Amino acid sequence: MTFTQVVLNSIVRGSELALLSMGLTIVYDILKFANFAHTEFAVVGVYLALFLNVALGLPIIPAAIMASVATGAFSIIIDRAIFKKMRNASGIIIMVTSLGLAIALRNTIRAIWGADAQNYSVALQKPIITEYFRITPLQIWIILVGLTAMIAFHLLLHHTTLGKAMRASSDNPELAQASGIATEKIITWVWFIAITFASLGGILIGLETYILPYMGFAIIVPVFCATILGGIGNPYGAMLGALVLGLAENFGLYINFGNIINLGGILNFSQELLIPTGYKPAISFIILILVLLIRPRGILGKKKEG
Amino acid sequence: MGFVNFLVYLAIMMGIYAILSLSLNLQYGFAGLANFGQVAFFCLGAYISTIIVLVFKMPFVFGLLGAMIVAGLFGYLISVPTANLKEDYWAIATLAAAEVVRIFFLNEDWVVGGGPYQGGSFGIGGIPQPLRSLFSAHTYPFLYLAIVLVCLVATYIIINTLTQSPFGRVIKSIRAGDNLPQALGKDVKGFRMKVMAIGGAFGGLAGCLWAHYHGFISPNQFLPLETFIIWAMVIVGGKANNKGAILGAVIIMIFYYSTRFLKDYIPIEEVTLASLRMVVIGILIVVAMLFMKEGLIKEKKTDY
Repeated sequence: MTFTQVVLNSIVRGSELALLSMGLTIVYDILKFANFAHTEFAVVGVYLALFLNVALGLPIIPAAIMASVATGAFSIIIDRAIFKKMRNASGIIIMVTSLGLAIALRNTIRAIWGADAQNYSVALQKPIITEYFRITPLQIWIILVGLTAMIAFHLLLHHTTLGKAMRASSDNPELAQASGIATEKIITWVWFIAITFASLGGILIGLETYILPYMGFAIIVPVFCATILGGIGNPYGAMLGALVLGLAENFGLYINFGNIINLGGILNFSQELLIPTGYKPAISFIILILVLLIRPRGILGKKKEG
Repeated sequence: MGFVNFLVYLAIMMGIYAILSLSLNLQYGFAGLANFGQVAFFCLGAYISTIIVLVFKMPFVFGLLGAMIVAGLFGYLISVPTANLKEDYWAIATLAAAEVVRIFFLNEDWVVGGGPYQGGSFGIGGIPQPLRSLFSAHTYPFLYLAIVLVCLVATYIIINTLTQSPFGRVIKSIRAGDNLPQALGKDVKGFRMKVMAIGGAFGGLAGCLWAHYHGFISPNQFLPLETFIIWAMVIVGGKANNKGAILGAVIIMIFYYSTRFLKDYIPIEEVTLASLRMVVIGILIVVAMLFMKEGLIKEKKTDY
């Protein structure tokens, strides 16, 4: 695999993760709890799109958009039914509740659609092959969707009333409420935006690989890792964290650590030392631990009291 | 399987899970540490004891002690990066650590001696059962039940004594926030690490009992869903109450194993039934958190 190819794969992975981690971070920022059901909501969107695409025969693009919007709306219903009743509870209580919700969602999907891997019905794509890399049209789509989402997010935060209100509620909820900002309305929008993006991210992962009820759990550690790495509560941090994690996951398997031990020929360590592919899921864990040890507030995290 | 045999099996499972539930209750219920990777201790205990007894041919007691020591050390280690941080970080770091433990045993078959059907994704069979030769196949489960109950009672007494001691009062004050114990000059980080080490050791004990009862272990038995089942036990039974943790284990295990017979009465596929069972576990957690925050047996509040 060439160096360019590894960079490209990293950007694709980073774009997918960014769609999920941006939502996780704004939910944390406004509602002050770590939502362990975040990636499971995404899987709800993945299977809704599968239903629209395969059972009803819709093309994948309208299916993905409709499924994501529907999942966003679904998260608002769940918020009204469960989380709204715990607005004043401590973060740990809401977090454990979200864990219960995650288990219920994942297994409802497994009960309906079964445990086997499935695929969207899309035409087989011819990759574009150059001397340095190969890329499929789908991967170009992933990068474009990721970029568009990031720009949309930025515009939303800084150029709309909703964005201003969101930032105000994040900085000081009491003051925001006293200034006449309707906190509940913002919370509704935050859920909708966060889960719609997450669902899009999930569908893109499903398109690139395959669809499993278990896929939400498979990405929960990388998504949390990207969020914490960038600085939890900071959407720009989440984007940066996703990209850094994408690079780390791909370069982690690409770099021959034997050369590093060699120190440029000082030591005579000729063995090839690569991280086995079986350990790919462990890379995000190692990075998570390093971040927690060295800089728990993340790269762009603001220094908070406590 | 006869009905009596099933009851003995169920009782053994209840005992093992009650130990896991007591261990998690010490961490979450008393100290407020949201450990989403409890299965890591269970898995480590099962593998370490198997390695000691099967590969090094040592007696069961050494396997049991080894399992407790290694799982305890692991608990101490994983709390190093998070000991000063908020509970959100605990949850994700422990969840990830449990996956790494499972991935390790999935990839490294040499730790259990290698060879076909030994280690890796194939799992390990032929794990010796303690004192097996002295009993018939029919009476042995009763002996094992006795071993499990002795371990459970010992765990209960140790954890109950701990939580009623000054140590227990300090960790309960940590649960309410770092400020008070810090103001009293308590080493908050050190206490958290001790809680994880003690909790880990008992989780390892449960893993050892599980491995030697079934005689076969594989990484697929230690999926994160085990952690979630243990969480349901603590939350339904009543957090920060040791009797509640045991009651929770009994209730969830009865639910879990009795629904296995459901497929004899209604036409339902195994995978669907397994999923629906976990849906109920998830909903139980949500409902208990919404309407029954204290669980079935409430925490005893003591005034000093």
